[in-house]
Amino acid sequence: MFWKRKETELQRELAHHLHHLAAEFERQGYSREEALRLANREFGGATQVQEQCRDERRWGWTAGLRQDIVFGWRTMRRTPVVTAAAAISLALGIGANTAIVSLMDVVLWRDLPVPDAKQLVLVHWRGHGFPQELADGAAGGMEPENGWDVADFFSYRAFTQVREGVSAMAKVAAFTYHHQVSVSFAGQPTVAMERAVSGDFFGTLGVHPKLGRLLSDGDDSYSEPAAVVVSHRFWERVLRSDAGAVGREITIDNTAYVIAGVLDPSFYGLGPGDAAEIYTPLHHARFLHDGPAGNVLKNGRFWGIQLLARRTTGVDDARLQAAMDAAFRASWEKQPKNAAAAPRIRLDEGRRGLGDPRKQLQRPLLVLGALVALLLLIACVNIANLLLARALARRNELAMRVSLGCGRARLVRQFLTESAMLAALGGAAGIGVAWTTVKVFGQFLAGDDTIPIAFVLDGRTLALASAITLLALLVFGLFPAFQASGWLDASWLRQGARSAAPSTGRGWSRGRAFVALQMAFSVILVMAAAIFTRNLVTVESADPGFDRRNLVLFDTRPGTSGYDKARLAGFYFNLEQRMQNTPGVSMAGLASMRPMNNGGMWDTVQLAGQPQSYDVSVNEVTPQYLRIFTPGLIAGRNFTQNDLTNPASVAIISGDLARRLGGRGVLGRRLRMVDVPPGARQPEFDIIGIAPDIAATSIKDRPLVLWLPFGGNSPAATVALRTAQPPQAVLPIIRQAMSEIDRNLPMVNTVTMEEQISKGLERERMFATLCSGFGILALVLSAVGLYGVMSYNASRRRGEIGVRLALGARPASVVAMILREGLASVALGIAMGVPLVWFGAEFVKKELSGIKPMDPISLCAGLGIMLFAATLAAAVPAFRAASLDPAEALRQE
Amino acid sequence: MARKTDLLQGTLDLLILKTLANGALHGYGIAQRILVTSKELLQVQQGSLYPALHRLERKGLLKPEWRQSGNGPMAKFYSLTPVGRACLRDEKEQWQRYAEAIAMVLES
Repeated sequence: MFWKRKETELQRELAHHLHHLAAEFERQGYSREEALRLANREFGGATQVQEQCRDERRWGWTAGLRQDIVFGWRTMRRTPVVTAAAAISLALGIGANTAIVSLMDVVLWRDLPVPDAKQLVLVHWRGHGFPQELADGAAGGMEPENGWDVADFFSYRAFTQVREGVSAMAKVAAFTYHHQVSVSFAGQPTVAMERAVSGDFFGTLGVHPKLGRLLSDGDDSYSEPAAVVVSHRFWERVLRSDAGAVGREITIDNTAYVIAGVLDPSFYGLGPGDAAEIYTPLHHARFLHDGPAGNVLKNGRFWGIQLLARRTTGVDDARLQAAMDAAFRASWEKQPKNAAAAPRIRLDEGRRGLGDPRKQLQRPLLVLGALVALLLLIACVNIANLLLARALARRNELAMRVSLGCGRARLVRQFLTESAMLAALGGAAGIGVAWTTVKVFGQFLAGDDTIPIAFVLDGRTLALASAITLLALLVFGLFPAFQASGWLDASWLRQGARSAAPSTGRGWSRGRAFVALQMAFSVILVMAAAIFTRNLVTVESADPGFDRRNLVLFDTRPGTSGYDKARLAGFYFNLEQRMQNTPGVSMAGLASMRPMNNGGMWDTVQLAGQPQSYDVSVNEVTPQYLRIFTPGLIAGRNFTQNDLTNPASVAIISGDLARRLGGRGVLGRRLRMVDVPPGARQPEFDIIGIAPDIAATSIKDRPLVLWLPFGGNSPAATVALRTAQPPQAVLPIIRQAMSEIDRNLPMVNTVTMEEQISKGLERERMFATLCSGFGILALVLSAVGLYGVMSYNASRRRGEIGVRLALGARPASVVAMILREGLASVALGIAMGVPLVWFGAEFVKKELSGIKPMDPISLCAGLGIMLFAATLAAAVPAFRAASLDPAEALRQE
Repeated sequence: MARKTDLLQGTLDLLILKTLANGALHGYGIAQRILVTSKELLQVQQGSLYPALHRLERKGLLKPEWRQSGNGPMAKFYSLTPVGRACLRDEKEQWQRYAEAIAMVLES
């Protein structure tokens, strides 16, 4: 190798010189040996000269690096356990951080996988509240922002007029929210998420097909046959990755479509976690035609279409916004009286797609990011401490190297190389850790109707992992390196190989400071674990007001799988009877809304003749359904089969609502629904019963509930079954019964009530699980740190302890002395950490649904765990020191 | 024997360049030549010669070459590169100006 040859040349060159010098001395009459000795003395230490020459040379740098690495590897191999522990803790820290930042990248920062994503804009409007004068109904979202309400829904007419009005400045495409549909392909029924889009939707985005073709303007018209484009995921899941599926027929909600093409796998939708799997043209989307609003494309007073646009190069947002605004106003049937408060177009950046997952996940990701950063810090402090201890142990070697001519810079470099090798080990392993961690995160973050967020290992991720590794290296590598080089002052070198540590007082206090710092960070993580775990336990074990055991739920969608309105009621009646008679099922009931599903239908009601109105969760149910969830009514009577079929309007209200409305006296009074389009008749109901309060929509809250009779005309329903045996035993019988009723009707989302409840607690579970993991890691790391410092300290004080014991100190007092010192730094750390916990708790308040942020039980539990672990870590070295044989210890001194 | 003088800091490079102006020499030869031409007044610290040689080589002022020295073993000979020659000229001028200035101050 190059450097080796150079090295030999250097030796030969110097040997040549010495040879001449010696010859000179020999000529002067000295003996051969004497001449060699004199030559060497005249020349000055050959090794030192060699070292200086190396430093002067260009190749010295790389050769030195190689030497450093070989040397570092040898040092690391000498203490394999310590090295492995350091690398593993570093890998966990780096991996967790990479995972979180990668997720942040995917969810918060990454552009949509389409060309020139920065040209995309999301078209919104802002105003004050729902525009009652302009619209009767809407499908979409509206959120308050800086005193305005920002909404994303438009009428179809607004879409066509805006598209025309700005055709020179931008391409405008329309889409809807996704919703669940029944799908049947090759005789196999299933459900999927459908999104209706305008014909040029894919063209505007710039997406390409993997197979077949995507939709075009031509597809989006009544005269064309219904075509559909499916996602790559759907193609794999339902079409079984069959390339021949393109061109074949697929049934979506009773309507036949032709599969036009399959999207490229890189297109994950309009944002990370987008669940939409099939895309239909607006003109062929059944739900836009058959809903309560009639034909949405013709109804200018129903705003249920979302818009996005792609700017032509050179067009600025202000001009585009003004042009869109004019077209938007022109699409209204009449201008509102208060023009200032009327909706106005607002453009938002569209390069990252729809903003909902960003808004939902920003805070949890930030909280988790802060926690994993702390974890990495703890790991770094631990490693710094460890390297420092190792440097101390290597003083003899260092002294030797310095006296042999090793420069200070070279020594610092040696330390840094070793740290960098450790960092590289940890970083490489960290990518593996990140890979697994992010899968777990992705699963947790996927909500009810979103798909797991995909993690991509690409250049960005690798660069990220390297950056985090480098950062960690700076934290834990630089300090020991300079620390060690600081010891190289003359006084210390003169002490040479003697065993006393240099500047002992400072070394010890630094170790303790490290321990305190680690403890402060660990307190935060352990407390977070305690708080989030207790939160989950509290929420999950909350009493929902009914027996959650032996309860099975599934959805059925007959209305979209071939049953017309006339046959629906009969089907439902038959279904309930059949389920009721299935062996193992003790009660069967139907509802229009799935319980515990974090949502449902909401309305506003008031007693006839009273001004006060209340927000209520509405569910249409059969009498059997109420019997499953409540042992009996507080007052009044349950629905009867007659109520279900009879047009007379009756209602049962929850106990809470009854109390608000004035107690039992409300029985027999009339309740009115307030929130209806202007001019429409407000539905009224006779209150016939008062039911106990139950957690109807989520285990986390108990809304006021309005129960209405299940009329049997909704296209879908949820079936609730109370089983006599554990659900798993009964499920096969239920499936069998269902397939006997109708083989083509799939059971959708079949879960037990316990599963349904915990599905709504994914966020809480994620925090509890991850924080517990982080907390345990932090605890182990800081306990190891404490143990290391305590044992080092105890071993350095062997002599002193030996004297104490020889003079009659009891071992117990020695244990107490060392424990006291250890726990003092722990206490200092906890004292520093608790205020940080207090600040942090305020920040995570929103994530806690079951307990208060500074929950005393969690805090005590956290502190207890910390102190227990710390005592354990300090006790082992303390007892070891106390069991010293004084004579032995003193002899060594 | 006259008292030998240690080299002023920074003058070794100049002496090496000057010594090599008349032809290639190996390290020992350079040390000997300096001793002889200074009438044994200037003593090059043998050890410090090599780091200087390697430094000049790295800067591109010297070109090394391995060849037979007399009838002895192979030795590393150094010679000036064109850059080295130019550098010698500059350094020499600078040194002369410096020496004159010092002399003027001392004799004033």
